[in-house]
Amino acid sequence: MARMKFYCDPERCIECNACVTACKNENEVPWGVNRRRVVTINDGDEGERSLSVACMHCSDAPCATVCPVDCFYTTQDGVVLHDKDICIGCGYCFYACPFGAPQFPEDGAFATRGKMDKCTFCAGGPEADSSSDEHRKYGSNRLAEGKLPLCAEMCSTKALLAGDADTISEIYRKRVINRSASVMARGVSYRDASFRAPHSASGKSSAKE
Amino acid sequence: MAKSIFLQSDNRKMHAGWLLLLLLCFIVQPFDSFANTSESRGIPSAAVLNPAAELWRDVRQREQLTNGTSQVKGVDSGVLINAYGDQWRKFRMQQLIPVGGYLLLGIVIGLALFYLIRGKVAIEGGESDKKLLRYTSYEQLIHWFIASIFLFLAISGLIILFGRPVLIPIMGKEAFSVIASACKEGHNLMGPLFLVALILIFIKFVRRNIYQKGDLSWLLRGGGIIGKKHVPSNFFNMGEKTMFWMLVLVGSVIIASGFVLIFPVFGLGREWMELAHVGHAIGAILVIGVIIGHIYIGTIGMEGAIEGMKTGYCDLNWAKEHHDLWATKAEQQGEVISNDKVSRLRDVSSAQSLGGHVQEE
Repeated sequence: MARMKFYCDPERCIECNACVTACKNENEVPWGVNRRRVVTINDGDEGERSLSVACMHCSDAPCATVCPVDCFYTTQDGVVLHDKDICIGCGYCFYACPFGAPQFPEDGAFATRGKMDKCTFCAGGPEADSSSDEHRKYGSNRLAEGKLPLCAEMCSTKALLAGDADTISEIYRKRVINRSASVMARGVSYRDASFRAPHSASGKSSAKE
Repeated sequence: MAKSIFLQSDNRKMHAGWLLLLLLCFIVQPFDSFANTSESRGIPSAAVLNPAAELWRDVRQREQLTNGTSQVKGVDSGVLINAYGDQWRKFRMQQLIPVGGYLLLGIVIGLALFYLIRGKVAIEGGESDKKLLRYTSYEQLIHWFIASIFLFLAISGLIILFGRPVLIPIMGKEAFSVIASACKEGHNLMGPLFLVALILIFIKFVRRNIYQKGDLSWLLRGGGIIGKKHVPSNFFNMGEKTMFWMLVLVGSVIIASGFVLIFPVFGLGREWMELAHVGHAIGAILVIGVIIGHIYIGTIGMEGAIEGMKTGYCDLNWAKEHHDLWATKAEQQGEVISNDKVSRLRDVSSAQSLGGHVQEE
């Protein structure tokens, strides 16, 4: 069976946030909830990198370990999903998750946590595939239609890869080899060959000194 | 033409040399000095292969705080990797649940053994026909107020903590989810009331709980457990005072951390919530352990101990044995009343509390 994974290539991500928007639209997620977000490290400085993060569908998921009601399960495709009928909205998965994937809509009189919502790898939930219940609770089930998650499918620079771990690691491996080859051809080190202006090119085009 | 051929062959040579170097670098990577020298010679070392390796190490391990920014606004949304989440998971799964569980189980088993060996501590002089007023109705009221809230919070908290290993195998996930959900909501609603109750208890009982001369000797003699003799003490003995201060101090920690946990709207990040959860859990386990002991003494552990909280009056002999400094003083001030008078007083007060429907016969 396949083991579904995301991979985001920081050399390609341009922080356009289209994955965030696409996810929000496709899955009709509640207000205040973003299943995916783009984080930029060293924003505006040399070595700036952006990464799109959501649930990484861990093989040994910490959220599933700490859940007091045991509402997580891993599908045959290796996608980590949860059952909103069982979830009590305690927030423990949010504490344990390294990626900050679990999100909580504000709920009740005191704006406490509602039932957790997170990226489903566009694979819906425990309800029958493509049922209206499933769509209402978990959003779209593209995997059941033979499609991959929309965030990765429409990524304009193909920074975000989604699919079987073997396939996407093969794609990424080829990229790394090609980049190394371009290093060879240009005779510069990989550090200088990555996709941003070198020191010397910082003159007229950049407002930043 | 010749130039390009030369370049190509040069490239090939470089390629082979580069691969060799890559291999070498991977082998000798642990030897930092070697890697440094190769870098200083201008040859790419393993560290150069992933130019952002150091950045990602910082992001992942966060030895220094490497926070990013995100267009998605929210608490912690700029944090790429929450490095403390894993520590918190280990604390909860490997320490809190097993250690806490066995600790509470150990306390219950220990008390059961103690009861089997020592039995109920009887009033040695037997019940007398005289009584002392120990708690006013207001004091009883706030005691049972905090007691019921505490019991609810303790039981609901323990269900959330130990439900997965203990209750899910018995009742299944769906049924347990209903209970756990009720526990979570109830815990959140009742939690703030515990603060109110604790404040009332503190104001009413703090003066009698200040440590005094004689408390140290009570402690040294184990509160009368060592040997058969009773140890003199005032209105509250040293054990009760310690329980009071523990409830106040540890209880405050529990309340403060509880507020952090209920209200994510405070805008505190996950590190604070993880820390709050650790404090909340450790404090709660400690206080629950102490309260189990308190309930034991109040119910099956000691004869006459619960009377003061049930009726407001305690037996004079019990008071003389367990709180003799207070009992002697009360006796001197003439506060001793007979059983008959107590039952008459109680009838009147219960009649009043029922709105005067019960007629005195």
